[in-house]
Amino acid sequence: MNCRSEVLEVTVEARQVEEAMLALLHTILLHRSTGKFHYKKEGTYSIGTVGTQDIDCDFIDFTFVRVSSEELDRMIRKAVSEFKDALSNSGSDGMGQISLEFYQKKKSRWPFSDECIPWEVWSIKVNVVNLANEQERQICREKVGEKLGEKVINVVEVINRHEYLPKMPTQSEVDNVFDTSLKDVQPYLYKITYQITDSLGTSVSTTMRRLIKDTLAL
Amino acid sequence: MAHFDTEYQRLEASYSDSPPGEENLLMHVPEGVKSQWHHIENLDLFFQRISFLYNFDICLKNGFTCMLFGEIFELVQLLFVVGFTVFLANCVDYDVLFANKFVNHTDSSKVTLPDAFLPVDVCSARIRDNVFVIFVLIISGVFWLHRLVKFIYNVCCYWEIRSFYINALKMTMSELPYATWQEVQARIVEIQKEHQICIHKKELTELDIYHRILRFKNYMVAMVNKSLLPVRFRLPVLGEYVFYTRGLKYNFELIFFWGPGSLFENEWSLKPEYKRGGNRLELADRLASRILWIGIANLLLCPVILVWQILYAFFSYTEVIKREPGSLGARCWSLYGRCYLRHFNELDHELMSRLSKGYKAASKYMNCFLSPLLTVVAKNVAFFAGSLLAVLIALTIYDEDVLAVEHVLSSITLLGVCITICRSFIPDKHMVFCPEQLLRVILAHIHYMPDHWQGNAHRYETRDQFSQLFQYKAVFILEELLSPVVTPIILIFCLRRKSLEIIDFFRNFTVEVIGVGDTCSFAQMDIRQHGHPAWMSEGKTEASIYQQAEDGKTELSLMHFAITNPQWQPPQETTHFISQLKERVHREATGAPSDTHPMSLSESEPRSLIANLLTGPSTLASVHFGRDSSLTNHATAGISDGASALRSLSPISSSLHLRGSLSAAHRAAGYTGRAMAGSGTDARTVSSGSSAWEGQLTSLVLSEYASTEMSIHALYMHELHKQQSRGELSRHTWHRQESDESSDSIPDEVRSEPNHHSRNFPRSHTFPTTVPSPSAIPTSASANNPFGAGVKIVRSARVPMGGWAEDGQAAPRHHEPLPEESSEDEMPPHIHKVNLLSFCVCSCNINLPVFTAIKWIFFPSLSLTLGYIIKPCQ
Repeated sequence: MNCRSEVLEVTVEARQVEEAMLALLHTILLHRSTGKFHYKKEGTYSIGTVGTQDIDCDFIDFTFVRVSSEELDRMIRKAVSEFKDALSNSGSDGMGQISLEFYQKKKSRWPFSDECIPWEVWSIKVNVVNLANEQERQICREKVGEKLGEKVINVVEVINRHEYLPKMPTQSEVDNVFDTSLKDVQPYLYKITYQITDSLGTSVSTTMRRLIKDTLAL
Repeated sequence: MAHFDTEYQRLEASYSDSPPGEENLLMHVPEGVKSQWHHIENLDLFFQRISFLYNFDICLKNGFTCMLFGEIFELVQLLFVVGFTVFLANCVDYDVLFANKFVNHTDSSKVTLPDAFLPVDVCSARIRDNVFVIFVLIISGVFWLHRLVKFIYNVCCYWEIRSFYINALKMTMSELPYATWQEVQARIVEIQKEHQICIHKKELTELDIYHRILRFKNYMVAMVNKSLLPVRFRLPVLGEYVFYTRGLKYNFELIFFWGPGSLFENEWSLKPEYKRGGNRLELADRLASRILWIGIANLLLCPVILVWQILYAFFSYTEVIKREPGSLGARCWSLYGRCYLRHFNELDHELMSRLSKGYKAASKYMNCFLSPLLTVVAKNVAFFAGSLLAVLIALTIYDEDVLAVEHVLSSITLLGVCITICRSFIPDKHMVFCPEQLLRVILAHIHYMPDHWQGNAHRYETRDQFSQLFQYKAVFILEELLSPVVTPIILIFCLRRKSLEIIDFFRNFTVEVIGVGDTCSFAQMDIRQHGHPAWMSEGKTEASIYQQAEDGKTELSLMHFAITNPQWQPPQETTHFISQLKERVHREATGAPSDTHPMSLSESEPRSLIANLLTGPSTLASVHFGRDSSLTNHATAGISDGASALRSLSPISSSLHLRGSLSAAHRAAGYTGRAMAGSGTDARTVSSGSSAWEGQLTSLVLSEYASTEMSIHALYMHELHKQQSRGELSRHTWHRQESDESSDSIPDEVRSEPNHHSRNFPRSHTFPTTVPSPSAIPTSASANNPFGAGVKIVRSARVPMGGWAEDGQAAPRHHEPLPEESSEDEMPPHIHKVNLLSFCVCSCNINLPVFTAIKWIFFPSLSLTLGYIIKPCQ
């Protein structure tokens, strides 16, 4: 695929899943958001400001920084809690993966719908463990905090590299690059998906699509 | 939750006022961002389409419009053919037409055409009752709709690519047919710097683009090269037979690359579990069961596919057969041949042009083997049929009522067909029998052949094996028709057994390249990893027998890629290999005795390569044949063999169309001179920047020279390989095993290995057997070889072959687009036939309207027969 993919792996206790996911997703989004663009002319704009917020975790010894936007937080919380529920309902060994995908839209001509072209995918693999006693939980609490700290540094390192980012758009194209639906912050277009076990393989839909595409190719 | 607000609070949301110091904070969007060509999702597909459109443009000048109109007309034609066939079958009262039944008319005694038509209700009832017709109608309806949707989809896609060519690559469609692929590619590389269509890398290399376009094809080529695919069979009557059709190829690709549960996760990456060796047995089981299911699905769909194939063949080939009935007797490169002969990283158009250049020599070679007895019989049959035909036609010309006599027209047609068939068995009178030489010329174009062909060109075994690569068109069509029935059998009984080897192959030969994804490691053309010690990479290669590519594929592919893409910067060792080889070839080329001026265009012995190239067109190929065959005979021992190989190239140079002005030829010669010097290869790319017509012309000429240069290198490498294999015959004996007896036939040398790993594993000969070094094998190998030492190594009489299919339309086109295929007697055959016909019409002064009617109805057969009868008289 023509996109970067980064994989983060964490091992947490069941009750820590939500906070750990929020910490990582918010950290990534913090670096992938800008202030709102205010266009003066077609190609000239000024950037609004973005506030940040420190969040302390309840179940992990960890504090992270997020964009102080309630709306964004709500959306991410929703996705994460869905993931958490699915994970606890699955009843299996507690493996799951949540991915945050940044994409660009490409307007297509009439018969085709708009294409979403990902340019960066962050996959967070979660491994849920069950702990026997309180003492272990206490150790885990600290260890997960440390681990998350490492991951955050990892994320920042990746983001600091000079790599491909969509070019800044003109006013008419801003919707193709940024999510402009939020009123106080403007992240790059993103999509959060999750997957409980990683053995799904080629789904039927992709195969069908490929089959149709292949028969159509000259 | 503790909530700590920092001082970095957001300002209130409703800005109507600007932030402070706004004048300085204003950002500007740089110009030129509006192009839509940044960051393309599926680069594989994108590059494939670019290459496809390029191919199309090469074949048909101004390809896009032509494609559009051609497709539309074809759709209409299809509709017509189906409708008309059904009409003929169901709505015509043939008794009336054949005058078996009497029509009672009151006004006149003439039978009119509408009389023969059945009434509409009867007709539709007949159609409705006939299940088979309904079935055919439904299938062809689906077929037609599929074509229509495909057409619309393709137009949309290629319109986009076309605008990419125009807007991003800045090439107009009119100049595209004259641009070389290398120019297009250079522009893509430029575009990447600006727009970053691939986001992993700042710069794309040529190899990246090739890898993306040919990802799966490289796998197929490698699998054929390592004889992994079950395409060769030992049949009771036919002997060894290669069966590889488009249907089979489609199924292979479905299984390996994109079908449900295939080995590839998406177009660019192999599934991670296949990259790990741990559970290979389980994966092999899974693959085997998938193959079984797909085979069963094929079996169930067999009737539908069969009807589809018949319709397809009917619609695709009737037109061709009508236009040139001889084309069924003509040959074409088989699907297997195209896969076997393909280099790694060779695009379709490169392969096609190479094979098309070899076409003439190849068919000449095959014609050498016409049986003399058959020729005599054919001549006589043709004589009798011809005389009968002549009488009938003469009578017809005298009085057209002869045509009204029963069966006269049909016998004329049949006789014509008979003569056509006979003629294909009568060899050209001026044919010189020198298969060895012809095979060399073929080799110069096709670049690959099994070792045991050399020196055995005159033998029927060689011919039979060559015919696996170069089959009759008719056989090709027949195989395609049989394919729906045979494919499931092959899948279920042959491919399934190979599942473990396939799993091992994909695991061992897949590498991940940044910015490209998973590719076949053979396609990296790394001498060190996949070189074959018998092909000049002695000492440089660390490949085990399992890893080395057969037939010098790695080395030849590398040379081919380096020559066609002079700007490509290979890794250090590879560069060393290339420059070393080029230097050697150059030395051999110029080391040939030269006592006269090299540029002299006399008929004398060609002095140097350049002189050779220039004098080539003016001398007859046959002259060279005679001379060179004597040369090669005594030159086989010495090192001067390389030179003789080069000299024997002169027939090829005759195919170079240096028909331009003398000055152009001189300039081109200058370029070649530099190109030959090894350092000056970039001369070819000088023109890549300029878009002027002149620049394009030179670049075309230069790419032509690149192909000649490659021919020289291929010949040279084969020659060296021959010497080397004579010297130390045993180095490269990796006996290919019979593809159809996979696991049982562990060869003796492997079995006799004391500490053999396959003891622990289920037997699979493609599983790396960690043979310590190639030199460990010689003794056992030569023991295995009944001829023993001293005799040329016969690596099992099998030729490695495999599969790659392409659109059927391309197949008949083979030898057409080439400018150099234009000797006198190969003028388009109907040109003088039409003249003849009109001549007859004029001179005999017969009833013109009737004759024209006849001409239009029976034009093909009549014109042919006339042509054939009168031509010998001239």
